[in-house]
Amino acid sequence: MSKYMECQTVLGDRKFLVAALAELGYHVEVHPEGAALFGYEGHERPERANVIIRRKELSPASNDIGFARSADGRFVALLSEYDQQIGYDRKWLAKVQQIYKEKQTIATARAKGYVFQGREVVETAGGQQIRLRFGVR
Amino acid sequence: MQTKTITVVIDENGNSTIDLGGFRDNSCAKVAEDFRGGDRVTKEHRKVSCLQDAESQVQRHTGR
Repeated sequence: MSKYMECQTVLGDRKFLVAALAELGYHVEVHPEGAALFGYEGHERPERANVIIRRKELSPASNDIGFARSADGRFVALLSEYDQQIGYDRKWLAKVQQIYKEKQTIATARAKGYVFQGREVVETAGGQQIRLRFGVR
Repeated sequence: MQTKTITVVIDENGNSTIDLGGFRDNSCAKVAEDFRGGDRVTKEHRKVSCLQDAESQVQRHTGR
């Protein structure tokens, strides 16, 4: 039986999150036990995260951006109000999520024996969509 | 025999659709699960072609 399914991406695997951020050009810190985020003045903030982009990679007035693992296993982004205003916003996060999902899909499919048949980028009114195609051995 | 294909479209919001084509058996449930990963399903349905296939299979079975 053939099927059609719509899914909401969950950032749950650290290695794909780190890989997605690396593809966007960031050198992230990984802290399995969590580490403090620092604000634009260099002061430690109360928030802790497991994957961190330090502010020096963002802008002179930025705060660290963090991804903290929540109790249900998902990574939750910690973004300051200022950084959201300068472009590290929902749209930026969606891009991270899109790259994450692509990497996760290709790696998982290959590990399970599916045949990767191609990738296509489709321009739409809302932005770029990534189309991945697989076959069954 | 029709080729089995899986098409995953990841939209600009980072969410995805999984479209399974050419499946004539119940293996599509497992395949869909493989591609869903840990994501949350927001919508799911069988395709029309699938329902027609299932219907014709039922007719063949009842004819025996």
